[in-house]
Amino acid sequence: MDQSTFQIFASIVTSIVLEAAPFLLLGSFLSSLIAVFAGDKAFLRMAEKPLPVQIILGLAAGLVLPTCECGIVPVARRLLRKGVPAGAAVPFMLAGPVINPVSLAATWVAFQGDWRMVAWRAALVMIPAAALGWILAAGKTTELLRPTLEMAGDSGCACGCGHDHAHGHGQEHGNGRSVAARLFDVLRLTGREFLDMGRFLVFGSAAAALCKVLLPQAWLAPLSANLWLAVPAMLLLAVLMSICSEADAFVAASLSMFPRPALLAFLALGPMLDLKLLPAFLTVFRRRVAWLLICVPALIVYALCMSLGLVGAIR
Amino acid sequence: MSGRLDNFRATFQDRMEGLILLCMGGFMAGLALSRQYWNFLNPKFSPLTLGAGCVICVCGLALLLRPEPGRGTVGRLLRQAAVLAFLCLAATAWEHTARELPPDASFTGPRGLSAPAEPGAAGVNGASEPVGPQAPEPPRVTRDGVEYVRLNLAELYIMLDRGRKDYPAHFVLRANLTRPSWLGGGTLVSRIAVVCCLADSLNLGFQAQGLDKIRDGKWVEIYGHLAPLDAAGRKKSKSAQPDERELSLRVVNPAQRIVAEHVEVIPTPDPPFLFEFREKEPFAGQ
Repeated sequence: MDQSTFQIFASIVTSIVLEAAPFLLLGSFLSSLIAVFAGDKAFLRMAEKPLPVQIILGLAAGLVLPTCECGIVPVARRLLRKGVPAGAAVPFMLAGPVINPVSLAATWVAFQGDWRMVAWRAALVMIPAAALGWILAAGKTTELLRPTLEMAGDSGCACGCGHDHAHGHGQEHGNGRSVAARLFDVLRLTGREFLDMGRFLVFGSAAAALCKVLLPQAWLAPLSANLWLAVPAMLLLAVLMSICSEADAFVAASLSMFPRPALLAFLALGPMLDLKLLPAFLTVFRRRVAWLLICVPALIVYALCMSLGLVGAIR
Repeated sequence: MSGRLDNFRATFQDRMEGLILLCMGGFMAGLALSRQYWNFLNPKFSPLTLGAGCVICVCGLALLLRPEPGRGTVGRLLRQAAVLAFLCLAATAWEHTARELPPDASFTGPRGLSAPAEPGAAGVNGASEPVGPQAPEPPRVTRDGVEYVRLNLAELYIMLDRGRKDYPAHFVLRANLTRPSWLGGGTLVSRIAVVCCLADSLNLGFQAQGLDKIRDGKWVEIYGHLAPLDAAGRKKSKSAQPDERELSLRVVNPAQRIVAEHVEVIPTPDPPFLFEFREKEPFAGQ
C-alpha cells in the first residue's frame, strides 16, 4: 500500500469510526442504564410468555427504539444477561437497526416514497430475525453468550462492571446505593463497554476500508445484469462496505443499475451482518450461535430476494 | 506509601482506560470543531460528534477519578491497543487533511465558497469571477435572456435517477471536469456527494458536451441543459470506473448528458464535496 492509498484508508477508517461512535456510545449507555437501574427480576416475566409473544415483543422494541447496528450488540448482550429471553433479544438485535423509524424514513426518502421498498426491506429483516429468535429461544443465556468474554476485566461477574468485587448486584449497582454513586457506575460502565465494543468497530472499519481501497469497482457493472449474480454480489457488498443502516438506503438508491431484489438484499443484510458485526458476534456469542447469526440471515435474505426477483414481485 | 502504590496498581487498568477515553473524546470534540471535519463526515453531524466526544470525556474522567480495582487481561489490553491504534491512524488522517487545506480556507457551510482562487483560473468566455465569500446566491440567474435554475449536480442526478420529468430545462451548476480514459476522450463533469461519511460517498457524474476548451481537472460553473445520450454514450456511462486514487463509488448518469451553453472556470469550492440535497427550489446549490 503506497502512501496515497494509506491516506485514503486512514480517512475511511476514521470516518466510519466517527460516524458509528455516537451510536455505539448510545448503545453502551443504554446497556449500562439497564445494568445499573433495572433489577435482576425486571425482565424475568418476559421469559414466561409464549415464544411468539416474545418474538413480537422483541420486534416491537426494534420498531420504536432508534438504534443502529453499531450499538445494538452491547444492548442485546446486556438484555440477555438481565434475563430477557433469546426469543425477544435476538429479533430485537437483528431487526432493530432496520425497522426503527429513522432507518425506515431514510429508506422511504432514498427511494422517493416507494412504500414497497420500505415494506419489503422491513419484511426481509423481520423474517430472519424472527426465525433466529425461534431457533435460539430454547437456549439459556449461558448457552448463548461466551463465558470467557472479557467484557470489562474478566471479573467473572456477569454484570459486566468488570471488577474484583464479589457482590450481589442489588447491593453494588442497585438498590443499596445513592443515586450519585449509581450515576458514577453508569458512566464507568458506559466507558468500559464503549471501549470493549469499540475494538470491534475499529477492526471492522479497518476491514471495510481495506475492501473499499483494494477491491476494483469495475466488477460491479457486469454483475448487475444477471439476477443470479446481482443478488449474491449485493449481499457481499453489504457485508464488505459496512455502511450504517441509517445511510445505506442512499447508497443502494444510487446503484440503480442493479435490479430491485438485489438492492433489497443489500438493504436487508447489511444491518444484520457486516464487518463491524462479524467480530462482535464471534466474540460475544458462543461459536455455534455466532455462526447461526452469520449464516441464517444471509441464507434467508438470499432465498427471499431471489424468489422476489424470479417471481417478479418487485422490479 | 506502599498502600497507595498498591491501590494505584490495582486501579491502573481503569485509569489507563480513562485516559484512552479522554483522548478519544478529545479527538472527536476537536475534530468536530475543526475546519477539517467535512473531510470525514457530513458537517451536519458535527454537533453529534461533539456531543458524543464530550460524553466520552466525562466517562473517561469517571474512570480516571473514581477508578475501581480490576485485573489487566489480554482482552483489556486488546481493546486499549485497538482504540490507541485507531487514534494514531485518525491523527495521521487529520494531519494529512490539515496539510492539504489552504491556510486561509475556511468552511462556512454548504453554501460557503471562500477558497482562494486557483492560479490561472480564468473564464473561457472572459467572464470568470471568483465567487464571493459567503455571497448569497440567487436561486435563478438570467444570462443572455435565458433563466437558469441554480442547483447542485447531485440534486440534478437524483431527480433524473428517480425518473422525475420536472427538472429545470436550463440550470447552472458547479463540477469538476475530467477526461477519463474509459470515456474514450469524452468529457465528464462530476461531484462527490456525501450523505453521512466518506464510506458512503458517491462520485456522481454526467457526460458533458461543449467543454472542449477547458483543461482536465479544472472546476467549472456550467450554464446548460440536458440532452439524451445515444446508445454508445449509454454504454460508456455504464462502464464508469473510479480513478486510481478514487475513494468514492463512481456512477455516471446512463441516459442524459449535460450540454454547456456557457462555462466559467472557478476556484475549487470549499468544501469540494456536496452535503445537502433538496427535492425542489430553492435547491441547495453550490
